[in-house]
Amino acid sequence: MEITDFSQPIRQSAKGIIVIFAFNLLKFFKKFLVFFIAFGIQVIRKKSFGGVTPTMMYLGLIAVIVLILIIAILKYFNFKFHLSKDDFHLATGIINKDNTIIPKSKIQNVYIKQNFLQQLINVVSLKIETAGDKKSEIEISALDKPTALLLKKKLFNKISVESEETQHTETEEKQNVFFRVTPKRLLLEGLSQNHFKSFLLIITFGYGIYNEFKDFLEELELEKRVEGFVNLDETDLFNLIITNVILVIAVVLFSFLFSVAKTFIINFNLEVVENQKTIEINKGLFNKISLSLTPSRIQNLVITTNRVKQYFGLYSLSVKQAMVNVKQQKNFKIVALEKEQLNYLINKLLSDYNLEGKTGKPKPYFVLISALGMLFFIVLANALALFLFGIGMLWINVIYLPFAIFYVYFEYKKAYYIISNNFVTLGSGVIDTTTNILETHKIQGLKLKQTIFQKPRNIASLVISTASKSVTIPYISKQEALTIYNYLLYKVESQDRDWM
Amino acid sequence: MNFTNPQIQIEDLPNIEDVVLKPISKSYLKIIILNRLAFYSLILGAVIGLKYLIKEDGFQDNFWLILIGSVMVCIANFIISVLAFKKRKYAVRGNDVIYAKGLIVESIITVPISRIQHVEESRSWLARHLGLSTLKIFTAGEAGSDLSIKGLQQLEAKGINDFISARVDGNN
Repeated sequence: MEITDFSQPIRQSAKGIIVIFAFNLLKFFKKFLVFFIAFGIQVIRKKSFGGVTPTMMYLGLIAVIVLILIIAILKYFNFKFHLSKDDFHLATGIINKDNTIIPKSKIQNVYIKQNFLQQLINVVSLKIETAGDKKSEIEISALDKPTALLLKKKLFNKISVESEETQHTETEEKQNVFFRVTPKRLLLEGLSQNHFKSFLLIITFGYGIYNEFKDFLEELELEKRVEGFVNLDETDLFNLIITNVILVIAVVLFSFLFSVAKTFIINFNLEVVENQKTIEINKGLFNKISLSLTPSRIQNLVITTNRVKQYFGLYSLSVKQAMVNVKQQKNFKIVALEKEQLNYLINKLLSDYNLEGKTGKPKPYFVLISALGMLFFIVLANALALFLFGIGMLWINVIYLPFAIFYVYFEYKKAYYIISNNFVTLGSGVIDTTTNILETHKIQGLKLKQTIFQKPRNIASLVISTASKSVTIPYISKQEALTIYNYLLYKVESQDRDWM
Repeated sequence: MNFTNPQIQIEDLPNIEDVVLKPISKSYLKIIILNRLAFYSLILGAVIGLKYLIKEDGFQDNFWLILIGSVMVCIANFIISVLAFKKRKYAVRGNDVIYAKGLIVESIITVPISRIQHVEESRSWLARHLGLSTLKIFTAGEAGSDLSIKGLQQLEAKGINDFISARVDGNN
């Protein structure tokens, strides 16, 4: 294997042309597909439309594809990057030349990704992300794997050398595969997910399809038949109920399958590798992703689990960084961790994490607000049911009410906060149990909120913002909120620690 | 190793409640009133305009009710905005900027100066005539920790801007 020299401007692998071409082609067709189909059908049907014959159309299509290919080739030739001592340089642009320089110390993430096409032609893409906005990220779409790994290492090494002085023996950096998910655990993870979301998705999807075919069904005079059906005796009514039950079971099964498939595709071969300073996550079936986490770049940690998952010992850990877009944010989730592995990982990412400190719960006012919210929901649901199905539908409250009570009960039960020396830990969730951890020195701003209804009750909420998200400690006594407010401000302002 | 770990008495920490917050410039009330009035005339104009567009009986019969309702909402909103004006207060401490606002939902926001990314002073056409400025303070991240203090005296805004800028530069 030849060692690539990054100090001179180099191009990506020649296979990059294929990747750029395929990507642009896809983008083009996505934009104009509807137009093409509409136009194409017209032309083929009428043999000519606005003076355009089918042959002309095909020729035009080929011309467009060739044009995209030429652009891809030009893009490839005009895409050069190199590394200097502290910066990454990139020159792009066919007509408008762009020169991007990213200081290594400002790099937040380096991903290595491989989509299906890239897997076929055996290249990877490397993405460099800073904490800036979305436009500032750079993607090199085709590198062979050793080069990409080397580049990533070079980009990261500088950072660690700069931030810490000791142990820059890069050569003997030990790589320890700390966690590898087994198919069994992934299956459990998929099964134990919160199925409400996929359930709703499938219901809406089914409803959409039903609406599409409504006219068709009406043509079949199905309604009349169904009406005749209902008017018949009890056995048929029984049949109808059976059909409905089977339908519901089918939807539930389908949503299970959907969740499991999704979990498998995203987290296939999930692997957490422990480096000296960083943690590396590798995963994915069609889109292989490899990304590194530097502890100093982490703003929040979110741990999720639920009753069923707790039973199987399944915990998920999401890492939130500054200004990472939502799509990317999802990649920073490690699923199906065991309790000990989770704790180990947390300790690795946050030094001396502990739960000692001031613990508290929201005031009972929380229950009031939660119950009011539920009441609103029930009234709305009832109004809808009345409007759509008539008075007979009110029995649905038999299901709603216990659900609402459980909801409020668990929401209150799971809400708590712990203010320890260097950390803020927040618990929340209803069906899921969510734990939110942030380091006090990463706080960007604090906000105390109090409505006029809360004023006589002496209750306030505290919003703690970091660069990645805001968390709220809801409805605690004002005194307590102020104490925490003052304490956190003191923590941020007295320490001269950078937030990233 | 020079390491000390003194105990912190929570009661002795600087208290946010002890800070004397300064109200923003009185002239800003004029801008609020003008803005609100412009907004109300737009809404009422739209309601009156609808009278000529919708010929349905249901609307025509109840037109005066709808108009009076809209006027009432506008008046209530106006009173609240004027009362809320008094709640707009700010303070600059050695290490942070504090801004309080809101009548129905009262809030106090504090941004540590060490977390500020940049400061912006902006002036609308109306504000320029009244000698006012808006100070926008940006922190990192999209989360809602950015501050915008409206209706500062121009000199005051410039002073705060200079102070923060100097501190932010000094820290880096």
